[in-house]
Amino acid sequence: MTNKLHARAETLIAKERIEGISTAEQEWLGQHLRECTQCAERASATQQALRSLRTVSVPLPRELAARTQFRVRLRAQELQAREPRWRLIWAMCGASWVAGAATAPYVWHGLEWIGHRTGMPDIVWKMGFGVWWAVPAIVAAAILLMEGGERSPARDVDGPA
Amino acid sequence: MADDKKLLVQGLRQRNPEVLDRLIEQYQYRLFRYLLYITGNTERAEDFFQETWIRVLERGHQYDGKFKFEAWLFTIARNLVIDWQRQKKAVSLDAMTDPEEGKGFEIVDEKAESPLQLFLQSESQDRVQASLEQLPAAYREVLLLRFQEEMQLDEIARIQATPISTVKSRLYRGLDALKGLLAGGGAQ
Repeated sequence: MTNKLHARAETLIAKERIEGISTAEQEWLGQHLRECTQCAERASATQQALRSLRTVSVPLPRELAARTQFRVRLRAQELQAREPRWRLIWAMCGASWVAGAATAPYVWHGLEWIGHRTGMPDIVWKMGFGVWWAVPAIVAAAILLMEGGERSPARDVDGPA
Repeated sequence: MADDKKLLVQGLRQRNPEVLDRLIEQYQYRLFRYLLYITGNTERAEDFFQETWIRVLERGHQYDGKFKFEAWLFTIARNLVIDWQRQKKAVSLDAMTDPEEGKGFEIVDEKAESPLQLFLQSESQDRVQASLEQLPAAYREVLLLRFQEEMQLDEIARIQATPISTVKSRLYRGLDALKGLLAGGGAQ
């Protein structure tokens, strides 16, 4: 028997376990293993290695599940407590935008009047109008950033020490 | 089966504590074993175990039930370990996940009092345990996922975010290394 045949057999022994082999390959391998003691031993060693791997058991730390369940419940309560706040924030943002849209013509005229009275350049009071529209978004963004700061990313990434 | 998955998706979306309690019970062994294999350290595995379930709670709405829950769970756990490792070591992700480059996905054990060894203490498992310890964590991980979790290659590839060819290559090398170590008597 040539080395090429043994090498093929060795490849198929591993392939059979890892990704599966075709019926033809199975037949060829079976035939080869019946005729070659060396390769049959290799197949048996592979089988034994996998069997050993499957027998390894890992004892769980005491109360691991209970402790985790407790932590998860605490976090769930924390998240739940935040939900009404968030609903309120979104409702306020929505109301603020609606009010902003409804009063836009008056704000525009008001700012125009102040601009002319104080002699400021048009660009300044027009920019003021833009800022007026952005106020709800700025407030929402500020709250979001504050919320993000509260829930430090370090706890997720750096938590386990 | 489909109904079960639907209930699971719904429970996770609603952050239902009963669903989470049940999942923690159900997957505690498999998740802990996986974390122990990839970190090689009991305390860290325990910390990551808890963090993983906190993530599951927070990101539960992202699980759509298209794939097995355990694959999603292991992906979260793995990403937490990699994030932590990346921050800690400031090395490239490739170097961490590829055992062919340096030590590969192996967290340096500064404490050393509770390594994998202390955990797998059954007399009859000594040899396997010693051999597993000597394997790079990336090999341990694929061997566990393929032969203990009995996952398909595409599922493993999804968890590791690598091509199937890489998974296969790690499996062939890992199996070969394990065989060699077992034949040689494991740790010397």
